[in-house]
Amino acid sequence: MNKIWLVFILLSSAVQADSKQPDAQYCLVCHGSAAQGNAAIKAPNLTMLPDWYLRQQFIAFRNNWRGSDANDSHGKEMQAVANSMNDAEIDQAIAFIRHRAPVHVSISVNTTADIQHGRQLYQQCQACHGANGEGNAQLHAPPLAGQHNWYLVQQLRAFKNGWRGNQGDDNYGQIMRQFAQSLANDQAIADVVAYIDSLPPTQPLVRTTR
Amino acid sequence: MTHYFKTPLTRRQCLGLLAKAGSSSAILGAAGIFGLTNIPVNASPVALKPLQGKNRKVLILGAGISGLTAAYELERAGYSCKILEASHRVGGRVLTLRHGDFINELGTPQICPFDDAPNLYFNAGAARIPAHHTGILHYCRTLGVELQLFSNHNKNCYTQDDAAFNGQPVRIREYEADMRGFVGELLAKSATADSTLDQPFNEQDLDKFIQFARAYGDLDADLTYRGTDRAGYAAGGVTSPAILKQPRSLPDLLRSDFCTGAMHFAEIADQAPALMTPNGGMDSIVKAFLRQLTTPVQLHCQVSNIQLLPQGVAVTYLKQGESYTERADYCLNCIPAQLVSGIENNLPADYVAIMRQLGRGKLTKIGLQAKQRFWEQEDIYSGISWTKQDITQIWYPHHDAFKAKGILLGAYSWEPQISDRFAAMTHQQRLATAIAQGTKVHANYGQYIENGVSVCWQRMNHMLGCGAVWTEELQKTGFELLQAPAGNHYLIGDQLSMHPGWQEGAVRSAWHVLADIERRETLRTGARA
Repeated sequence: MNKIWLVFILLSSAVQADSKQPDAQYCLVCHGSAAQGNAAIKAPNLTMLPDWYLRQQFIAFRNNWRGSDANDSHGKEMQAVANSMNDAEIDQAIAFIRHRAPVHVSISVNTTADIQHGRQLYQQCQACHGANGEGNAQLHAPPLAGQHNWYLVQQLRAFKNGWRGNQGDDNYGQIMRQFAQSLANDQAIADVVAYIDSLPPTQPLVRTTR
Repeated sequence: MTHYFKTPLTRRQCLGLLAKAGSSSAILGAAGIFGLTNIPVNASPVALKPLQGKNRKVLILGAGISGLTAAYELERAGYSCKILEASHRVGGRVLTLRHGDFINELGTPQICPFDDAPNLYFNAGAARIPAHHTGILHYCRTLGVELQLFSNHNKNCYTQDDAAFNGQPVRIREYEADMRGFVGELLAKSATADSTLDQPFNEQDLDKFIQFARAYGDLDADLTYRGTDRAGYAAGGVTSPAILKQPRSLPDLLRSDFCTGAMHFAEIADQAPALMTPNGGMDSIVKAFLRQLTTPVQLHCQVSNIQLLPQGVAVTYLKQGESYTERADYCLNCIPAQLVSGIENNLPADYVAIMRQLGRGKLTKIGLQAKQRFWEQEDIYSGISWTKQDITQIWYPHHDAFKAKGILLGAYSWEPQISDRFAAMTHQQRLATAIAQGTKVHANYGQYIENGVSVCWQRMNHMLGCGAVWTEELQKTGFELLQAPAGNHYLIGDQLSMHPGWQEGAVRSAWHVLADIERRETLRTGARA
């Protein structure tokens, strides 16, 4: 079995070789050709996410805060990629994403959602995520406006069922999990996401580096 | 291996199961055989009329079997083609791994560690061709690809199920002989019972039927099963009298799920003997196409935008960080639908919506290099052993008997949950799991295994899935829509066939589109004249 280790060494170098090509194009395979997200892969829009949040999520995947649950197959996909990247490669990827133009995703309106109810529910979200869903770097709360609604639904469910925010040292995730748990059911999730969808895209999406 | 055949199958259920089995079987060919569809299995290759000097440009996205088929036929008719391929290699899910090959699985990249020897290769994707897959066989014949026989079913392989025989492996030969013995006995006895008098048999039919039951189970003259040499001998049989093996008891046999599942695998239309496979690896077909093609195949070209134009299509792609745009009269696109859905485009919304609903096939294969061909010591040459563990199957090489080393298939599952479990592991964990589980089939398995490769197709870069998964509902509402052109853009590949996961589906989808292009070109020149 010694050769297994040889493979391991070889494959580390293979990863490096691959990302040395301006081939952080890697991200675009799953996240879409403009990093705008891809519903078929359940990959989120990256273009509206600030650098600090992207970095935080790389850490979350590496720390097993995300992708730890056996049933979270999409989380595990990203976790496998995050685990195979070194710090320099993560920097490269974030820089690559920063050079993509922000993409405002087209929204398919959920006709069964109650936006007014969603607005009430959003009251508790806005303290961290901002009245316009613009996010807050100091509070480590990502922007929500401009994200795909199916992704927000998926992540609220993930927090609720413990796929996210369930690890002892994931402080921000744990906080978010408590709020997600306060959403009674899928209808409440649909309502609050419909309200986030309705937020006017007035705020420019500032992509700061922390 | 799953729970198929737990209850009597209707034909519809059977077709559904075939579809579920993904790459190991699928509907089109089977349906042709069962007479449920009107797609002729022996359709002749498309014949494109030569363009005779007119200049028509075709961009082909993806260098898998459908793209290669399209390029081959189009360039012969005078079309000017270019293939853009996102990955570092040609062939798509026809992937034969050898020493030094790079396996670009997201998060689990590997370099194939097999020794550098011609017989040490592993078909990590397509692996077998049934005789009625006349499309792909047409190209094997035309392009001079040499074939050899491939066997799914080998009576000397094992079946292993923790629930039966104390988890000990049992030769398929023995299991099947005993099972058939009991079934034959039951058939024969029920046929002789009074209750069958009402059956629409005459005396002659009944007699013949009892003879059949006797032959089926190898029963004694009193229609009782007492063991058979079909199970192999316990001792003797050549220079001394044969001693038969004691039959296992029916309740013991029934504890194993083999009788409700894998025992019938080689009855599936696309899996039944005789199967074929190219000498030296499935990618012999890819190499044969490349020998003939003059069409350029550009690697590392990742498509980022597809725009339908009033006449033609514009495709933008990234190559080493630079963006390029090309225009063509037609675009034939075999990028997996789940990835097209993430590429900027102006394709019709309903067209893209169907792509988003297609499921991503999840399928894992593990290849293991053995330093000794220990299976030959157990009278096994080719075929499949089955186990209820996640590895599901062990394949023994159908080629190069008696060489020093060999490549085993150490795991192959098309169950999504199983493939998810493998995907969640590191490569080392996958190999360790394959070895630990294989040890229940072959004691000391681990001592023979030197290294290995693992391929989770739902994680492979630029693919993110194996054969497309169409639900019955989606097939009804979406297949024709996706099969039809959007402007001058066509989606092709095995994903656009009723045979996802088979090269035949890829070839036929290309032919389908070429016939449509031929029709449009005829109309076009007709309108001009």
